[in-house]
Amino acid sequence: MIKRSFFGLVKPKLQYEIIDEAQAEPVSIKTSKQIMLYIDQSVDPSLENAGENAGNVLLKTGDQVKTGQKIAMTDDAADYLLSSQSGQISKISTFVGIMGKNYTSVTIDVDGESSQNVDEGFKNVCQAPSLENAREFLTGLPGQPDFNVFFDSEKPVKAIVVLGVDDDLLSTTNQYFVKNNIIAIKTGVDLLCKITGISNAILIVPQHLEQVAGSSGAVVKTVDSEYPSAHPELIMRHILASEDGESKSKSGIAFFSAEAVCAIGAAYNTGKLFLEKLVTFVSKDGNKQLVSVPIGTPLQDILNEFNETLNDGDRVILGGPMQGISVFSADYPVLPDTDTIIIQDKNQITERSDIACINCGECVRVCPANIQVNQLIRFLEAGQYEEAADQNDLFSCIECGFCSYVCESRIPVFQHIKLAKHTLESMKAAEESNA
Amino acid sequence: MHSTLKLTVSHAPFWHNGSSISSKSRNILLASLLAVIPGCYQYGSAAVGVVTLSIASAILWELLINFISRRPISVGDGNAALIGMMFAMMLPATTPWWAVVTGTFFAVVIGKEIFGGIGANPFNPAVLAMTILMLSWGDLFDFNAALLNYQFDFNSVYPLVLSKSFGAPAVESLPLMDLLQGKQIGGIGSTFGIGLILGGVYLMLRGVIRWEISISFLAGIFAAALCFNILNPELYAGPGFHLLTGYTLIGAFFLATEDSSSPVNFIPMLIYGLLGGALTVLIRNIGTHIDGVLYAILIINLVNPIVDKIRPKALGKGV
Ligand code: SF4
Ligand code: SF4
Repeated sequence: MIKRSFFGLVKPKLQYEIIDEAQAEPVSIKTSKQIMLYIDQSVDPSLENAGENAGNVLLKTGDQVKTGQKIAMTDDAADYLLSSQSGQISKISTFVGIMGKNYTSVTIDVDGESSQNVDEGFKNVCQAPSLENAREFLTGLPGQPDFNVFFDSEKPVKAIVVLGVDDDLLSTTNQYFVKNNIIAIKTGVDLLCKITGISNAILIVPQHLEQVAGSSGAVVKTVDSEYPSAHPELIMRHILASEDGESKSKSGIAFFSAEAVCAIGAAYNTGKLFLEKLVTFVSKDGNKQLVSVPIGTPLQDILNEFNETLNDGDRVILGGPMQGISVFSADYPVLPDTDTIIIQDKNQITERSDIACINCGECVRVCPANIQVNQLIRFLEAGQYEEAADQNDLFSCIECGFCSYVCESRIPVFQHIKLAKHTLESMKAAEESNA
Repeated sequence: MHSTLKLTVSHAPFWHNGSSISSKSRNILLASLLAVIPGCYQYGSAAVGVVTLSIASAILWELLINFISRRPISVGDGNAALIGMMFAMMLPATTPWWAVVTGTFFAVVIGKEIFGGIGANPFNPAVLAMTILMLSWGDLFDFNAALLNYQFDFNSVYPLVLSKSFGAPAVESLPLMDLLQGKQIGGIGSTFGIGLILGGVYLMLRGVIRWEISISFLAGIFAAALCFNILNPELYAGPGFHLLTGYTLIGAFFLATEDSSSPVNFIPMLIYGLLGGALTVLIRNIGTHIDGVLYAILIINLVNPIVDKIRPKALGKGV
């Protein structure tokens, strides 16, 4: 954990991880006995038993799935994942995740014949790359590419931005692809440009990778190494500001991670779906190791590989230290957007407090969105979310978490912000559905 | 899914930089010792008594309020002790015990707790208490009378009284070096300039206090005093004198920088400090009061919410 430096006169700095020159090759994690896929949606559990009668339910317990098969609960669902293994569905359940999101969890017992039992759906269309079949088959790739932005007619996409940087601390996933796989990125970018008809593609990399990235011939821009400058929102505002002047907020920008771009390129070139996620695993003692794991692998399998044991009170984090989520159980799977897994020992955890804000202003000085967090938090703690949004710029927040990191009162500021946004958004949604 | 393992689940971020209110209080207390210990050396055991009583009673008042309002015990964060220390630093060593206890009551209960506790006080609690006491029992804080029984090897007249009554020439005899070394009478922790400056620099470097406020406060005093001095050197003492006497240094480093009652944005901090410094000199030179620091700080505390509105636009709002 990076602590405040002895001399606190200067603004606190958090440096992004820089990928090692002599980077060890990623460790491959073996296929586990089970994989689990959490799909961001929910299906009425009663339909599960209805079986064939409910025509729109695609999968049920006992079904066989092949490697690369789309796992979606209904045939019109936009959200799906791709099974990284072949096997039999042993369990389907729903649960409510962070901020009231509904998920369907599909457990697949792996049959060990994943390499033979491959779904042909994508192979049949890969000769004719198009946005439609990309959306149809590739959203479940590692890095979770989002093609929906191209289908929004109100906000035409003007630029494709490939993130060769990692948004949160400790992660080196995207840097790894820039460093070792720049050709594949180039291939993927060219392909994306072709199917979308957008010629403006920009590759964002950290400064130390500028040369490598430049060799690909792509348009390269750099961000500096201090958190949170690689945040997509800031990249959009600061780096691309010169690109199209005033209209920047209105025009859409499609963000893709370097990992996703590589996977897209490879998918169309080979007809095979590459379903291994590159994850930075950070153990309790702070050792960092890149691992390559099939999507859906439960965390426990990775922990076993590194002989890491969990005790009561430890914390398991999916995602980085600033923006990730902590989970209830080591059964949680690696998902397409899991860049980092951090295991924290009980005694590494700083407790949050309910002491009031002392107005030290640390948060104000670090906030990249220029929010008066010291004022904002007073409204949030009082539950006055509407005032917070109207008078204190709640919705300018880009959710970097820096304010909570520096808070001297140790207030969970970020949590208050997320809760307030969530509450207001669900209120708005409720109003709209009533209208 | 039925594992019995109980993991800690909480919201991001999962790191913290380790700062805390108690470490902040500890640091300021530590820095204040640099001025308080020489003060105690100068005034003897009476001063030690005042300081300890002040800190102890401040803590007890806060404890009492915690108890009455049935809120969690908050004295552990060191803020009450800090208020007690700040208050004691301004007192003459001869202050009677009842005045100390009344003062900390005003500071902790009236100055802080009734506004809602830490972070909610609009005024610096110690300054507020000191001002109330000065208005109520002015005689106690007439340093010349209070410290009459002490024998010093330097001119034992409160320097600000000298300049007020007899004009600039009267204080020309006071070498600035002596003032800096604490060879002047005054509050227990307000006279040893070297200690206050070292403590202040330590706090600024560590980021415990906001350097912008301290520096601009001193700059305000310097600039205003210089203007007066140039206009009428016969009547008004020079900036060096103003910087090293009265509550200037303790005000700049320890009082004006109190978190809750000061701004957090860059330009507002500068305005706040400059205004405080200028007001101090105005009150000293033109007003009827002998020292202006405390009143100046109360006034800038008052304007703090207004000046702190000067700030950059939030992301996505306007230009
Ligand atoms: S999370 Fe905090 S620091 Fe980051 S943008 Fe939001 S308010 Fe500012
Ligand atoms: S860092 Fe925490 S205590 Fe300090 S002003 Fe911000 S919210 Fe208040």
